[in-house]
Order: sequence, then structure tokens, then C-alpha cells
Amino acid sequence: MNPFRVALAVARKDLRSEWRTREVVPALAQFIILALLIGNFGFQVDSRNAASIAPGILWLALVFAGLVAFGRTFAAEREQASLEAMLMTPASPVAIFAGKAVAASLLLIACEAVMLPALSLFFGTPFSADVVAAVLIATVGMAALGCLFAAMVARVRARELLLPLLTLPLWIPFIIAGGQAVQSAMGLPGSYSEAISLLIDFDILFLVLTSLAARFVLDE
Amino acid sequence: MLIAGAAIFFYAPTDYLQGPVQRIFYLHVSSAIAAFGCFAVVLVGGVIYLRNESPAADRFARSGALVGVVFTTVTLVMGMLWAKTVWGAFWVWDARLTSTLVLWIIYAGYLLVRRLADPGRQAARFAAVVGIFGFIDVPVVHFSVTWWTTQHPGPVIINDALPPQMLATFLFTMACTVVLAAVMIAIRYRIETLVDEREQVFEPAKVLVAREPEPVQ
Repeated sequence: MNPFRVALAVARKDLRSEWRTREVVPALAQFIILALLIGNFGFQVDSRNAASIAPGILWLALVFAGLVAFGRTFAAEREQASLEAMLMTPASPVAIFAGKAVAASLLLIACEAVMLPALSLFFGTPFSADVVAAVLIATVGMAALGCLFAAMVARVRARELLLPLLTLPLWIPFIIAGGQAVQSAMGLPGSYSEAISLLIDFDILFLVLTSLAARFVLDE
Repeated sequence: MLIAGAAIFFYAPTDYLQGPVQRIFYLHVSSAIAAFGCFAVVLVGGVIYLRNESPAADRFARSGALVGVVFTTVTLVMGMLWAKTVWGAFWVWDARLTSTLVLWIIYAGYLLVRRLADPGRQAARFAAVVGIFGFIDVPVVHFSVTWWTTQHPGPVIINDALPPQMLATFLFTMACTVVLAAVMIAIRYRIETLVDEREQVFEPAKVLVAREPEPVQ
């Protein structure tokens, strides 16, 4: 079986079921708007300090929306007990994992398409290609890690508790580099190109590591 | 350990600028190095476990994580006490402090996985993956002082920045701390072996066959 076709088929299956139920994306988009609202009340935002506060609100909202999105990735499979069935097929577990990761990151990107315009609408920060690029590049690596640990905790007690505890510390490299990139894209000091190349390095590192580890997490 | 303690207080000269507080240095750096060593044990144990499912490798990884978290805690607490007198605050958001805190959180998470996953093969395998990913942070902590400009001082040992008496005291303390960590891992390993024997978690496929599928909700 061609692993790329398997991954593509799994991703299409997940996206189609999301399209038919429309569960995750609308809920997450609302969640993100709420997070922006809380950011507005939690900080005293005005036009002078918006550029220094908005990146923080962006990453906080994105990180927690990501946790929910990746936590849902394997929830549907668990409820239907269909993950075991998928793993019994001759398709390679890594390809199945890749398909699910691609689908989950596309869902998160759909939420980002709501979040980034809303952020610049509410806080008046620039909505530029630089910001979008930084967030998208960070999403790749964060999705790989998030799905790996989501697959892991899907079969563990207290999974809602464990997923953030395991994922957040390993996401911190992305938040360091991504935070710097977004800050400099919004006009704060710091080198944008340096942060982006660091993000790409982290992407490559974690994509390689997760593809090596996925076999052990899914195989049973 | 006692001799090391005596050497720290009586043999090593008092720092000219910082006064007696500087004596924290010996144990602070030693326990950081011991913690790195413990996490290396977790990494190696995890890799070996994933390769051949050896329960002994997993027990070593388990013991290493526990002892490593203890030594990281010692490092953090001692560093905070030192920072309060020298920098004037318990905590500054500096690259090395932050990355050490992240390291502590990662391995505390490792211990939680061990507690929450089904004991036996599942816990061992998941924990091995966490241990391997977590070890990425160790080089980050080590090089953070060189990569970013930080408030935390850079390496003084390999740069020959210490007077010989301090160096001798430090090396002796470090040797003692590493041996202490190794002894603690060995003791913990014995405990884990006894626990495994009692619980029989690594007993063969029986466990797997007997496991019922999760009920459909």
C-alpha cells in the first residue's frame, strides 16, 4: 500500500466527517473570539500598546485552540473504537498518523483564518503576510507534536489532563521563535528572518522525530 | 558527601565579590550535572526499551527520571536562593532559568505518564517516547548561556576561570554528587524491580489478551 495514498485517504476521511458534522471548527472559532475578548479585558489595550500585547494574546489563544483541536483528533476514533480497526489494516501506522495530523492541522489553519483577521480587527495591529507566514510555519511542527501526544493520551486515563502537560513544554521552542517572529512583524524590535529560520529548523527536527516515534505510539 | 561538605565550607576560599553565598555554586552546578546524567539514563533506557522491550531498560529509565527530577529541583531551589542574594530576585526570566524550569516540567510530566498510563508495556512505551523528546531540552539548557545573552553566568569550569582550590573542591563535590545520583538510581531500580515482580506488569501476552475493548459510548 502506498503510504502517501493512505495518508491522503485518512486525511480526506477526517476532513469529510468534520465537513458533515461541523463540530470542531465553529466551536474553536468561537473559542478564539472569546479568548480575544478575555485578552481585551485582562489587559488595558489601547492603540499605543496593542502591538506589544497582541502577539501574546495570539499565541495564548492559538496554543489552547491547538490543544483542543489535537485532543479531538483521536476522540472520534476512540468513541467509535475505530482506531483499532484502522490499525489492523495493512496500512502503515505512520501513514495513518500522518493523515490524521494533516487533517488536524488543516482544521487548526481554518481557525487561524478566523483568528488572524479578528486579531487585527479588534486590536488594530497590522495583518501582514509576515504574521500569517510565521503562524503557518509554527503550525506545522506544533501539529506534528500535538498529534503524537494526542495519539498517546487517547488510550490513557485523565487524557484531558495529560495532553496539555506533555504538549505545552515541548511547544515552547515554537512559541519562543514564533513569538519573536510575530513581534517583529508587528513592529517590535527583533530579527524576523532569524526567528523564521529557527522555526523552520524546529519544524524539521520535530517532523523527523515524530515520524520516527509515531510507530511506537500507534503500534500495539 | 560529608567530606565534600567539609571541603565546601573549610577548604575552598571565600569568593572575593560575592562572599560566602558563592559556596552554593559547588552543589548547584554538581546537581545540575547529575540531573543531566539522570536524564541521559532516561534517554538511553527509553531507546533500548523501544528497540527490544527490555523491562530492565525501562526500570532504569523510570529510576533515572525520578532521581533526575529530584536533582533538578535541588538545582532550581539552590539557584533561586543564590539569585536572591546576588541578583536581588528569586527569579528572572532568563534563557537558562526558563529552560531549566521547562526541563523540570517535562520530566514531571514523564512521571505523570507513568502513573496514568496502564502499567506495563503501554506506560513503558509512552514514557520512553516522552523521555526521548524531553531530552531535546537538555542541550538547550546547556547551550542556552552561549546561544542567548543571559544573566546566568557561562561555563567557568572548562574555561579555567576558577582558582585551583575551588576547582579541586568543585570536582570532588561533583564526583560525590554523581555517585550519589548513581546510588539513588540503583536503589530505585531495586524498588522498581520488586514492584514489577509484585504487580507482574511485564508478564506476557495474557495482559493484552485479557484487556477488554473500551465500551462504545
